[in-house]
Amino acid sequence: MPDSKPTQNAIEVRNLDFYYGKFQGLKNVNLDIAEHRVTAFIGPSGCGKSTLLRTLNRMYSLYPGQRAEGEINFYGQNILQKGQDLNLLRAQIGMVFQKPTPFPMSIYDNIAFGVRLYENLSKSDMDDRVESALTKAAIWNEVKDKLGQSGLSLSGGQQQRLCIARTVAVKPKVILLDEPTSALDPISTAKVEELVSELKKEYTVAIVTHNMQQAARVSDFTAYMYLGELMEFGVTEQIFLKPSRQETEDYITGRFG
Amino acid sequence: MDKHISTQFDNELTGVSTRILELGGLVESQTRHAVYALAQFSSEVADQVIASEKQVNLLEVEIDRELASIIARRQPTARDLRLLMAISKITGNLERAGDEAERIARMVKQILETGTPRNLPSSELRIAADLASGLLRKALDAFARLDVNMAVTILKEDDLIDAEFNGFVRKLITYMMEDPRTISASLDLLFVAKAIERIGDHAKNIAEFVIYVVKGADVRHTALTEIEKAVQ
Repeated sequence: MPDSKPTQNAIEVRNLDFYYGKFQGLKNVNLDIAEHRVTAFIGPSGCGKSTLLRTLNRMYSLYPGQRAEGEINFYGQNILQKGQDLNLLRAQIGMVFQKPTPFPMSIYDNIAFGVRLYENLSKSDMDDRVESALTKAAIWNEVKDKLGQSGLSLSGGQQQRLCIARTVAVKPKVILLDEPTSALDPISTAKVEELVSELKKEYTVAIVTHNMQQAARVSDFTAYMYLGELMEFGVTEQIFLKPSRQETEDYITGRFG
Repeated sequence: MDKHISTQFDNELTGVSTRILELGGLVESQTRHAVYALAQFSSEVADQVIASEKQVNLLEVEIDRELASIIARRQPTARDLRLLMAISKITGNLERAGDEAERIARMVKQILETGTPRNLPSSELRIAADLASGLLRKALDAFARLDVNMAVTILKEDDLIDAEFNGFVRKLITYMMEDPRTISASLDLLFVAKAIERIGDHAKNIAEFVIYVVKGADVRHTALTEIEKAVQ
């Protein structure tokens, strides 16, 4: 069930500007991402929603010429500051992409790989971790008898849940989902959406989606972005029943363009 | 209603909006005829009112079918969603207002058959009846134009009908106490009065949904002062 009761903020974005070289992709964005809630980002292509998501764990730092200004406070600590351990940050704020990206290795190792980077677990502890991650990603029952098989042998929907399990395995606080179902069929989509509602009990979730109805279904809060600006941010039900800005209304009712 | 990217969606919304106005027109004329039948004690006109009930029911079913189809295929949001919700509720209110008109018509026939004493104040019902059918027309106008101010006026005017109804009931009681032989006929008139009062209530409900469509505020069961604040 959607839950818009206020909680502590996991992430607070303040006066965030983002540049692709000279092009400004985000303009003075301010918003809070509440802990144990699902926050959805919607808006037309090029509005900056994926850009914003990619700033939240500094994924953009992989690309030269991209820079962010302002503050992104993750439990009070500004992650845009120099000297961040980016690997540790991305373990705490995990990300799942549009296309499933399983590693070309066994299902078991897909999960264990990331864990080994941070922790030195015994065989039985690692087995437990793999099982628990796959269970949380709602795919354990489908793969438990073929953990040795390649991750690439799974269907698209299963691969995506495997990637979510991989993110969950390193015990993150926040999970970022970048259009996680746009390459999946409706049944796999429904399974991932169901999973999102489960995940928020333990984690904070931020999801970018092109599918407005998906945002309406899975999120507690929705942000509408346009041309790099945050146009409206509020409780999802409110946004879809009575948005306060005409621009938001036009977009979600399909009058945009 | 400005344009959607999908003109087909526009057409569907326009279509169902037109259909509800058609239903509204039908129920409004039903009400007016029921009032006329009451005033003139016309059995023929009462028969017409009763006959048009079938058409009202058909339209109600048709509108509900269209609504379900639009919701299933378009997943409307925001204003579109509020419009469709309102149409669904307004359809129900119109259909029931039509039932009340039919009830009045049946009462008129019954009164004619039993030969009600002419000294009963039946003509006084006309004031309330005219108010009620006028209110229904205004409510439909307010919906057609999505006119919030008009909707608020309707909410105020419904109080007039309620006042007329209460006055009429008091008068009937006096008649019944003076001459117990009028009790049976008085009860018939009481049912008519109640039906008129209900039509006013349905008009008021429709006006409330106009406010919901435009302002997104659910003003049912809300004091008038609060409503005026909400529509500012």
